[in-house]
Amino acid sequence: MSARRPRLAVALGVHVGLAAATLAALYPVMLVVKKAFEPGRQFALSASPVPHHLTLDHFRDLLGARGSHGELAFLHHTLASLIVAIATTVIGIALSCTAAYALSRFRFPGRKAALTSFLVVQMFPASLLMIPLYVLLHALGLLNSLTGLILVYSTTAIPFCVWTLKGYFDSLPRELFEAARVDGAGPLRIFWTIVLPLARPGIAVTGLFSFMTAWNEYILASTFLTDEGKYTLPVMLKSSVGQFSADWGLFAAGALITSLPVMALFYVLQKYLVGGLTAGAVKG
Amino acid sequence: MSRVDLRRALRDVAVIGALLSVGVLAVFVRARNLDATAASVRHARAAAIAVAAGDAPVVATAAAGVVGPPRQSPRHDFLRRRTVMTATGPRPLGGPTAPAVDKLLYDAAGRFDRDGAFAGLLSDGTGRAVAAVATPRGPAIAITAAAEPRAPLPWLAVLGLIGVTLVVAGAGASLGGRARGVGVGLGLAAWALPATAWGGWPLGLAVAAVAAAAGWAHAVGATDRVGASVRAHRVALSFLGPAGVAMIVLVVVPFAVGLALGFYDHHHGTWTFVGLDNFRRILSGDGHGLSDPLNFWFILGVTLAWTFVNVVLHVGIGTLLALALRQRWLKAKGLWRVLLIVPWAVPNYITALIWKGMFAGEYGAVNSILAGLGLDRVSWFSSWATAFSANVTTNTWLGFPFMMVVALGALESIPRELEEAAEVDGATAWQRFREITLPHLRPALGPAIVLGSIWTFNMFNVIELVSGGKPGGSTDILVTDAYRWAFERGEQYGMAAALGTLIFLLLLGWTLIGRALTRGDEEARP
Repeated sequence: MSARRPRLAVALGVHVGLAAATLAALYPVMLVVKKAFEPGRQFALSASPVPHHLTLDHFRDLLGARGSHGELAFLHHTLASLIVAIATTVIGIALSCTAAYALSRFRFPGRKAALTSFLVVQMFPASLLMIPLYVLLHALGLLNSLTGLILVYSTTAIPFCVWTLKGYFDSLPRELFEAARVDGAGPLRIFWTIVLPLARPGIAVTGLFSFMTAWNEYILASTFLTDEGKYTLPVMLKSSVGQFSADWGLFAAGALITSLPVMALFYVLQKYLVGGLTAGAVKG
Repeated sequence: MSRVDLRRALRDVAVIGALLSVGVLAVFVRARNLDATAASVRHARAAAIAVAAGDAPVVATAAAGVVGPPRQSPRHDFLRRRTVMTATGPRPLGGPTAPAVDKLLYDAAGRFDRDGAFAGLLSDGTGRAVAAVATPRGPAIAITAAAEPRAPLPWLAVLGLIGVTLVVAGAGASLGGRARGVGVGLGLAAWALPATAWGGWPLGLAVAAVAAAAGWAHAVGATDRVGASVRAHRVALSFLGPAGVAMIVLVVVPFAVGLALGFYDHHHGTWTFVGLDNFRRILSGDGHGLSDPLNFWFILGVTLAWTFVNVVLHVGIGTLLALALRQRWLKAKGLWRVLLIVPWAVPNYITALIWKGMFAGEYGAVNSILAGLGLDRVSWFSSWATAFSANVTTNTWLGFPFMMVVALGALESIPRELEEAAEVDGATAWQRFREITLPHLRPALGPAIVLGSIWTFNMFNVIELVSGGKPGGSTDILVTDAYRWAFERGEQYGMAAALGTLIFLLLLGWTLIGRALTRGDEEARP
């Protein structure tokens, strides 16, 4: 535990343990990377993460595949995913900025109840609301539409954004607002000209998380979208390794293209994530 | 008469009346749709009876005819072909150039073979209906061409009602005294009339009760106090408003609907109130023994074991790695950390699919490794223990980095001087861990464990995508079982909703317990 040189056995144990854990953490990912560049539809006929032959066929097949109306299928599904994720993010941020500010700055009756309910909804997953939402969207004729899916995603995106942004607003210095109020600025003006510009980094981080969550969501999309033409990327990727015709090469190539950008984003943002998640659980 | 009294009375009837009118209009829309549905079904049945008698149907139909018995296809023995006898002669159902309505005819004939004569709405949301009646040659089936037109909203009646409400409330206010509350109550009670007409007398009574309560609240000044409070906090409330309304529409309403659905049975598009029957079926095991994977208590046991094993592994592995990464002499800490959180960065549905591929088949990666080590290959999804282990392995892989990062954060808060002092004082490594490290870990890990256990309890993707509940549903957890009630066992939404309610109660209980436990930790913080 100290700066002194450790005993050899301890040093060896720590390094072996770390190396084993790292290998276990990386191995499945390496298999996917290998599969993406190796010919054939089978997943793994050998345990080695090194491909025998290199090929870009899977990427070509994936990007060139045509849907039932002759459209470029992968592009089409990417577009569907983008529409859903961006719309969810915009709705989440637009509705939650003012709410988070109110919960952070003002004291009013019902504040605690509002905070608790936002927290509960954020912690309990949308799968609990899945059945009633399915029945309601069916009644409204919104099943199998991206609009319906955006509404479903908003049920978790809004409380998530409210909690994360509230945490951010809490960290802004209170004196700033007091000074503005003394200078005679109204609440809307303070919010628009002082709070929002200051909160821009917080809003960006929250929005990116919200985007990633919607981009990576599988089960709700697969339940609420039944028409293959409407599939988002996760549903499309899952269907490429279905029970009867599994093309793991296609899946691996698609998985790489789909998840590399959000993984990069995750690495940039993850230091904000832990604080936000556990802050919610502690402060509730 | 005071103008203040009048303004207060009008304010109260406006706010409460607006809420009531939304409910009443919803009831009107429902009654109107039920009428249209009934008419549609009636017309379909009439058309089917006409076809059976050999007459031309009076209403416009999308398709009508007598469907013959299924015959085995000469080329594919799993296919059953049927022909339909229409007004223009017989033709085979289906085929490359067949109209889309053929599938509806085929399905209706299949349903007739199973259930006998029937009439009902098509489940495609178009509002059209289908009916089948028996004839000696097979079922006569008719599908209506279009949905029935719906009655327009009675705007004049609604406007009249609004007028009556305002006038009665205004009159009460101008009389003053007791009459104020009575005016508000009576004015709002006018909405009981349309509620009774469209929704039946229980709804009418409910509206009347709300009106009476509103009148009483007005009389004793409760609405004034609420109004004053809203005015005092109008900035905060209006800032909260948009998100609040969205949450009510998107979460509170579906949640309430979900609670209500648990008391209904859903069968072929019709809902029947069954009271607590769904809950009784679930909690009594529905005729399945305790060791049957379809028994609720079995699934609950699997869910709890699943949650417990995963959380223990997440916390154990995460903490061990965090302790290793904290060694001061360790080089390239940042690199280790970056590599170790890779599993967290991978979207979890992709993780689940990768592991499914690794476990699948005789030649999957996992079996190849086992064979390389000289062990037997395992058919992972054919027994409970191996399928459960496959799920746990997958979930452990994707879950340990979160606990590791949380533990690392907590370890960083330990002052180095404290540890060094303990070392100088001759404390053993175990003593230092127990007296210094553990008390610092607990306050951070406590909430993370509560959160992680809720995530694991609901980890739909891993169960569904890795084992898919196999074998025989025995690795299903509560949330995947609820999903199967709704989408794989004949749309039993009522059972699924009831199970959802039970899951919610379990999670709520666990959250309360968890908060009590972690609060204790915070007080014990050094």
